Amino acid sequence: MKKKLLFNPKSRLADIIHADYRLIPIIGRFGIEFGFGNKTIEEVCIEKEINVWFALEIINSFHDSNYFPKKSLQNFPAKLIIEYLSNTHDYYLKVKIPEIQEYIDKMERAVKPENYKNITLLNGFFNEYKEELRLHLENEDLYVFPYILSIENALNQKIIDDQLYQKILTNSIENYERNHEDAEVKLNDLKNLIIKFMPPVLCKELCQNLLIEIFRLESDLGVHTNIEDKVLIPKVKLLEKKLLEIRENKL
Amino acid sequence: MKTNYKIKKVVIASNNYIYTLGIKTILSVIGIRPELFDVESVDELKDLLKEQVFSLFLILNEDIFNNNIEQTISEIKRISPDCPLILLKNSQTVIKTNIKWINYDENQSDILKKLDNFFKEENQKDLKKDQTILSDREKDILKEVALGLSNKEIADKLFISINTVITHRKNITEKLGIKTIAGLTVYAILNNYIDPEQEILNNDS
Repeated sequence: MKKKLLFNPKSRLADIIHADYRLIPIIGRFGIEFGFGNKTIEEVCIEKEINVWFALEIINSFHDSNYFPKKSLQNFPAKLIIEYLSNTHDYYLKVKIPEIQEYIDKMERAVKPENYKNITLLNGFFNEYKEELRLHLENEDLYVFPYILSIENALNQKIIDDQLYQKILTNSIENYERNHEDAEVKLNDLKNLIIKFMPPVLCKELCQNLLIEIFRLESDLGVHTNIEDKVLIPKVKLLEKKLLEIRENKL
Repeated sequence: MKTNYKIKKVVIASNNYIYTLGIKTILSVIGIRPELFDVESVDELKDLLKEQVFSLFLILNEDIFNNNIEQTISEIKRISPDCPLILLKNSQTVIKTNIKWINYDENQSDILKKLDNFFKEENQKDLKKDQTILSDREKDILKEVALGLSNKEIADKLFISINTVITHRKNITEKLGIKTIAGLTVYAILNNYIDPEQEILNNDS
């Protein structure tokens, strides 16, 4: 496979998007909006107070699936990584999922009666998936991420209260890792149901767009899960270990 | 080009350790790393074939047969018509039916060539089959999966072992590209294998 050129701080943001339009939502996720003229990514990031190296690592890992900078990403504070991940959760739930839902709804309205049943089936399947994804992301936002932040805080301040200590001992990140399900399996099923097994529908364009959006969500989720599994979790394990060491030394 | 990476399942039937070991060695020489099943008698072989839902490559050594080789082979073929089969035999043993064989006294390059072809031809046959058509048995299993039965329940209901259920399910998923139960259920309803009304009733009870 051809090795893709990676972007650096001096790359112009406009060039980045021209080179790979799939990065449009990623750049948006950092709060960057269009109208940046010929500025480089470094210039834009400084303006917006974004960590340019972090943004670049994320952009590059979306751009080239072979590039995955586990080690260097792990050097960034967990807070930064979590901020990004939470933003991404919002993007899935508030933008991507409703978008896909809209296509399915439109299809439901557009199909002939004999196909109505099939689209309803798809809709039911997608609704189930939606609920699972929502619970999955909510669990991370409400429980996992705050836990990680409290660890990082404790480490910075070198204060470990008993509650946190107990939590590390009984409910460490390893628990989460074990239960961290793959959010993409069902999407892949949905793709195959549409591609291989759905009887032809009369709303070709809608169906094509639906499929494209599912592919996009899936690949986005893929990188997202990678960041959680290969960057965040190993980092948290390290932080937990450090914290336990400090605590034991004090006693 | 994507090649077929599926691991081949090979049965070596011989009650003579030296032959078994020899065949294994030859397989690795021609670059085949199979999942191996060793059996030492015709009965053992038949039992294995009855349990297995995969296509197995059968390498049969003459020494497991008691008397009528050809009749026994036709019995084996009746159990597993899809399993490719090759016989290793003494050159004095005469085989009239149309099966593949290798004589003990053949030279190295002939033996390697014959075995290599044995595996290659089957590969090509494999590619021609439509990979998305489920067998009747797989449809039976799919129905039960879609209705929400567990592997254990399906095994009890259809009088097969749990392992067989698992293997069928693996094959179904491989053929359809659908992994989750919810996805399989949608597939089953799309194809009218199950009636959604009935499914709702079952879930309520």
